Amino acid sequence: MTNSKPPVPSRPLRVAAEVVENAVEGPGNHRLVLAIPGWPGAEPGQFVMLSPGGSSEAERTDPLLPRPMAVYRGHAAAPPGGRAEVEFLLKVAGRGTRLLADLAPGQSIRLVGPLGSAFVPVAPGKRAILVGGGTGIASLYELASRGTEDAEVHVILGARSDGDLMGVDDFMALGVNCHITTEDGSRGRKGRVTDTLGELLEAPGPPAALFACGPTPMMHACAKIAFERQLECQVSLENNMACGFGVCLGCAVPVHSGGYSLVCRAGPVYSADQVVWEGLS
Amino acid sequence: MTESVDTRVDLGGIALRNPVLTASGTFGYGTEFAPFMDLAALGGFVAKSLTLEPRSGNPPPRIAETPSGMLNAISIENIGVEAFLGERLPELPADVVVIASCFGTDPGNYAELAERLSASPRVAGIEINASCPHVKSGGIEFGQDPRLLGELVERVRAVTPKPLLVKLSPNVTRIDDMARVCEASGADAICLINAVQAMEVDVESRRPVLSNVLGGLSGPAIRPIALRMVWQAAQAVSIPICGVGGIITPEDAVKFMLCGATAVQVGTANYLNPAVGREVAEGIAAYAARHGFPRVADLTGALRLPGAP
Ligand SMILES: Cc1cc2nc3c(=O)[nH]c(=O)nc-3n(C[C@H](O)[C@H](O)[C@H](O)COP(=O)(O)OP(=O)(O)OC[C@H]3O[C@@H](n4cnc5c(N)ncnc54)[C@H](O)[C@@H]3O)c2cc1C
Ligand SMILES: Cc1cc2nc3c(=O)[nH]c(=O)nc-3n(C[C@H](O)[C@H](O)[C@H](O)COP(=O)(O)O)c2cc1C
Ligand code: FES
Repeated sequence: MTNSKPPVPSRPLRVAAEVVENAVEGPGNHRLVLAIPGWPGAEPGQFVMLSPGGSSEAERTDPLLPRPMAVYRGHAAAPPGGRAEVEFLLKVAGRGTRLLADLAPGQSIRLVGPLGSAFVPVAPGKRAILVGGGTGIASLYELASRGTEDAEVHVILGARSDGDLMGVDDFMALGVNCHITTEDGSRGRKGRVTDTLGELLEAPGPPAALFACGPTPMMHACAKIAFERQLECQVSLENNMACGFGVCLGCAVPVHSGGYSLVCRAGPVYSADQVVWEGLS
Repeated sequence: MTESVDTRVDLGGIALRNPVLTASGTFGYGTEFAPFMDLAALGGFVAKSLTLEPRSGNPPPRIAETPSGMLNAISIENIGVEAFLGERLPELPADVVVIASCFGTDPGNYAELAERLSASPRVAGIEINASCPHVKSGGIEFGQDPRLLGELVERVRAVTPKPLLVKLSPNVTRIDDMARVCEASGADAICLINAVQAMEVDVESRRPVLSNVLGGLSGPAIRPIALRMVWQAAQAVSIPICGVGGIITPEDAVKFMLCGATAVQVGTANYLNPAVGREVAEGIAAYAARHGFPRVADLTGALRLPGAP
């Protein structure tokens, strides 16, 4: 295990944020920037709950529930009495994310956060391999940016096709080793992120630690590779959520220690060997 | 103006500073909401339903969104009565009114739970959950059979001196009969409604969206049903009624009071707005002030029926 400790997350707040920017980054992909008053800052891997469709609950009962969204960039706290700009990468998946994609600058949106657990940081002297599939890469940016000083950091970014890739330039600008894969070969290497992961692990170097966020089958595949090679592996799960702060018990995931764990509170970040992968739908 | 309104109500012997409670299963054990509001701004809260032993819930998926509502099949996952009394209750500030909810598979479990909970001075009242719509045995069996319900309420009544609330299921043909049985068996108040039994299907996979197949529907989608049932129950009994189902705004809550509710519980809305309880409480007082009611308690039953002035 790493000798690093998990960071202590800040107390969440509930607040109305202002949309600063909502840029199209490809088909159905958006970069949403919110100005959040009193933002306490976030740790890598944490998320917020965003209420689609207006700032007042009275305006909207359908869709009813807020949507979980990983904090992409903007992990520093707002100055006293001020606002912080926080960035999200979102992919339109259904009605809720469609409404979020339609938000215009100047509109206000309610959010609750920051929520959930954070990645245990990259340990010095390790080779950190971050594996992001689809919007899962959003959870990994801050981790990649913090890891660069004393560890060798590789980021594998994968998507179905070039148009589905987001944030690649941001990761490149960090100066970490970026490896791009697409399933149709339209950009970078043709194949899956796990193909590239396998190759990196064959190369000589310091012991690797894996950090994965993306579709469940991708994270499960990373977990298997980590298990076979006895590597540490942290994953950030994306279960359906209703509340995001541990009261509805809707986001439960079966764990090896027995019973269920709440992804919104004990997670979304887990050590891959804690999760009963077969129990995830 | 709002300051001059008297917001206090009496719910079957529980003195509440305002008529807004938060509903069982939607407010955890209370402290989860401390980052978002002062818990003492609520009339009180009903803790997650407890069983004698800790209990694990259903496999995922446990929740799904539906039009203006959500389905859940959690199955009373809870920490058990001992951890509640020993660990969670002591964490709560002394000025927070806590109602404990009991769930069991036979009247004996319910009575034992009620007895243990009643021993704590921090428990202001006992709510019997006779209405969980998706647990295989217990709960709803009692809420759907007037004879079983009467026996259950009598059994619990015999062991608790605390105010006794019974939470009723909407999954019945005649809610007025169930309300009368509760009154006759010694309940101090009734709460209605629990979630409405329902299901949803994913057409692409041809699978039910919940692992449990059936779930409970909650949220604004059920509010008109809840309102109708509160109205019918209010015609049938003279004990106080706590209205539950789909409340997200102060106006929603006022509707329940006009139909005869003394107090209300806010459930699913806590997930979208963790400060909703306080906002609804403030909004009810503002409504009363705006409409010239000196006490929010005067809103109870103040519905103007067709033909009346
Ligand atoms: C901790 C966490 C962080 C997340 N971070 C991001 C992010 O940074 N960017 C981003 O675009 N998305 C992220 N997601 C996923 C995002 O929350 C869902 O895509 C969104 O809730 C779907 O809502 P919808 O109304 O658009 O779709 P719905 O109409 O609700 O559903 C459309 C489809 O999306 C699936 N879906 C619904 N909820 C989720 C979910 N929580 N996860 C995965 N699939 C889901 C449904 O099963 C369905 O197939 C995150 C989820 C979690 C739990
Ligand atoms: C996820 C979830 C869990 C619930 N758990 C309980 C419970 O443990 N005990 C109970 O009496 N009611 C439970 N309920 C029902 C609510 O207390 C309430 O009666 C119902 O949801 C209707 O109110 P609402 O529309 O405001 O949510 C639960 C509801 C939801 C959505
Ligand atoms: S989303 Fe409600 S408990 Fe996790």
